[in-house]
Amino acid sequence: MRRQALLAGLCAITLATASGCAGGTDSGDGAAQAPATLRYAAVGAPAATTADPHGRVGNESDYLRFSMLYDVLTVIDEQGTVQPRLAEAWEPEGDDLTHWHITLRQDAVFSDGAPVTADDVLFSLRRIQGKGAENNGRLSMFDLESSTVAGEHELELVTLQPYAEVGAALASLTFVVPEGSDDITEPVAGSGPFVLETADDTTAVLTRNDQWWGPGGGVERLEITAMPDAAARASAVASGQADVAGSVAPATAEQYAESDEVEVVTRPGGVGYPLVMDTTAEPFDDPEVREAVKIALDRDALVETVFLGYGQTGADVLSASEPFAPDVDPVVRDVERARELLEEAGHGDGVSLTLHATNSYPGMEETAVLVSEQLAEAGIDVEVEVGPPDTYWTEVWNVESFYINSLGGNGFVDFARMALLPDGPINETGWDDEEWTEDFHTALATADQDERYSLLGDLQRRIAEEGGYVVWGSGDGIDLTASGVTGLPTGPGFHRLRIEEVEVSG
Amino acid sequence: MARGLRPLVRGALLLAAASVVVFAATALLPGDAAQLRVSPGATDEQVRALRQELGQDAAPWRLYTDWTAGLLRGDLGTSLVNDRPVLDAVLQRLPATATLIGLSLALAAPAMLLLGGWAGAARASRGAAGAFLTGGAAVPAVVVAAGAAALLSGVLDLVPAVSLLPPGTHPVHHPELLVLPVLSMALPTALFGAGLVSGAVADTVSRPHVVDALRRGRPLWSVAAVDVLPFLLAPFTRVLAVSAGGLIAATTIVETLFGYPGLGSLLVSAVASRDTPVVQAVAMLAAAVVLAGLAVSDAVADGTDPRSRAW
Repeated sequence: MRRQALLAGLCAITLATASGCAGGTDSGDGAAQAPATLRYAAVGAPAATTADPHGRVGNESDYLRFSMLYDVLTVIDEQGTVQPRLAEAWEPEGDDLTHWHITLRQDAVFSDGAPVTADDVLFSLRRIQGKGAENNGRLSMFDLESSTVAGEHELELVTLQPYAEVGAALASLTFVVPEGSDDITEPVAGSGPFVLETADDTTAVLTRNDQWWGPGGGVERLEITAMPDAAARASAVASGQADVAGSVAPATAEQYAESDEVEVVTRPGGVGYPLVMDTTAEPFDDPEVREAVKIALDRDALVETVFLGYGQTGADVLSASEPFAPDVDPVVRDVERARELLEEAGHGDGVSLTLHATNSYPGMEETAVLVSEQLAEAGIDVEVEVGPPDTYWTEVWNVESFYINSLGGNGFVDFARMALLPDGPINETGWDDEEWTEDFHTALATADQDERYSLLGDLQRRIAEEGGYVVWGSGDGIDLTASGVTGLPTGPGFHRLRIEEVEVSG
Repeated sequence: MARGLRPLVRGALLLAAASVVVFAATALLPGDAAQLRVSPGATDEQVRALRQELGQDAAPWRLYTDWTAGLLRGDLGTSLVNDRPVLDAVLQRLPATATLIGLSLALAAPAMLLLGGWAGAARASRGAAGAFLTGGAAVPAVVVAAGAAALLSGVLDLVPAVSLLPPGTHPVHHPELLVLPVLSMALPTALFGAGLVSGAVADTVSRPHVVDALRRGRPLWSVAAVDVLPFLLAPFTRVLAVSAGGLIAATTIVETLFGYPGLGSLLVSAVASRDTPVVQAVAMLAAAVVLAGLAVSDAVADGTDPRSRAW
């Protein structure tokens, strides 16, 4: 009673001073007249919200906002293939695949009225490369000092080595800002499908950009809210305060599977928690030990327990959603064979290992525990050590010889450059195979797509067979939507950021 | 004059001590913002370069003096995560948290007096009832929050289960969003405070002048108002000050749980990203509020203790 009286009192005060008091529990007041609005509750820690699209972006909510405010050069479609966006075409000049002619659209305009030119694009690419330490060396394959502007809407990009996958290298995260935007602590003009109306560190309100060159459709207004807690995101949709909840836990999806008001949308291959074995460290330097670990796992049980069935078992192929990914046989559990392999490797008395894990993402810790139980049946004694998420990525990841990683939707070429070349900055498995490296460079120097795809697929297969990654399965990315929301992207990788055509009805 | 200055000097010294504790706590956290801001696989050199760019490469004592000098000038520094002024981030979220704490306290304070009075009187006569308060107060805010959400939102569907503030609005425009967070904070606080108040009540009601007044047959309300309440004012304000500290701490849990955009959730994510200027600013603000509350309660105690008053 007292509480209600108090709230009523507050309402009265508010009423006298400001706009008034929202009565019911529905925050979409006056929705009948209001423009179609999509309210997206995205993963994000509000304190980490940043306006700079090129540096460290820790929040999915920021990525969503950037991809709606800024145009990118190319995008990945539902099948994982590269499609034009701001760049209409990218063609090699000459045969060595190091010089590329990029043609931009001529009708793209920044929200301040200025046309988007090749100068803006080259400036943005250089700015991204300059922040390589914060963005995983995203454009480190390019020699941007030697790259030049060849016309108002033409560019010549130079790569350091032959690089046939330039289209993919320019995909999804090449946010183009106006030339001269050196310091981006406040939002700058963009040329994307939406323009920014207001933003604080939690919520950004975007309205449709009528000047955008792309197709119509989609909502007029977009509200992106950063919410760190997965359960809270789900509750926001269930209670009608949001239309989409990005990335919820499988248990939450199960909870709403039968619901009429909430729909579960899955993105295959969204998350994966592979085991990482350092091939230069004892005992994983012995290929037989790696093989034993790979065949000792019960992958079906892992997918069932960790992803509650929202996922697929894996056969150690990294980036299995690539169009060139090889068709490999499922890895069948064979505990006896695993014991034999260990014996042949001189570990007849068993092996003792420490498996590191953390609880950054739902399911990582469960993975470690279940792996430890399964490996024990093959005579591998695994002690699980769960570290705090704050320091896991500096103290365990890329340091220890046996741990659980989290991979989500990286393209294979990009990942290989970072993690599978001997001088790659995150070569966590210590993979150093001269022939493999040579074949990788050959693939990138192969202009013919079919030929290149078959080479890349073969490289993936060799890592699956011999490498230090145990890709036991992948979980779906799971989003919840209110009923009436259609067109939420479900393709691999950064396809999920393309929400400009999502519709809301009712 | 000198007597008036003393609490101020003491407050300043306590605040300075708090700044050392806050700074040391952030310095002792493993890892730093530069390490967390670089992408995985960055070289040590890149981390060092970023640390230098962020101005975090100096010796700790130097960072501390720079920070406190900034504080004295009213400069809270810039965030190490997004390079924006810390003051902006704090001011943006201050109203939401101030509303939350204010309402919780407004709700908890009368409840403390009523429950504390009841339990204190009961304890004086029969020695029971306190167990209820102690037990209730031991239930953490996170459990109360989950229970309240399950009941009010899940079963009864009265209020939303999360408290997303529509962009650009003040929480008082959306009282329905405040119900669960306020309840989750006020309930444990009321029970905790009532437990403390009941002790003072029990002491007071066993005082000779109260026993005497009751024996002479004066009405209960009159005894409570005239003979008991004045003795409770000082302990009660102290309980309120302590409760305010507890409420500030509870915002970290409650705001995160309900997605409520206040300083508590800011603090949680700033700690996770080692954004030390933000952590320090919020922590110092909390310390200042608690110290101010204690100073006020001391002043109240000095000014109102009925034993020191000439009747």
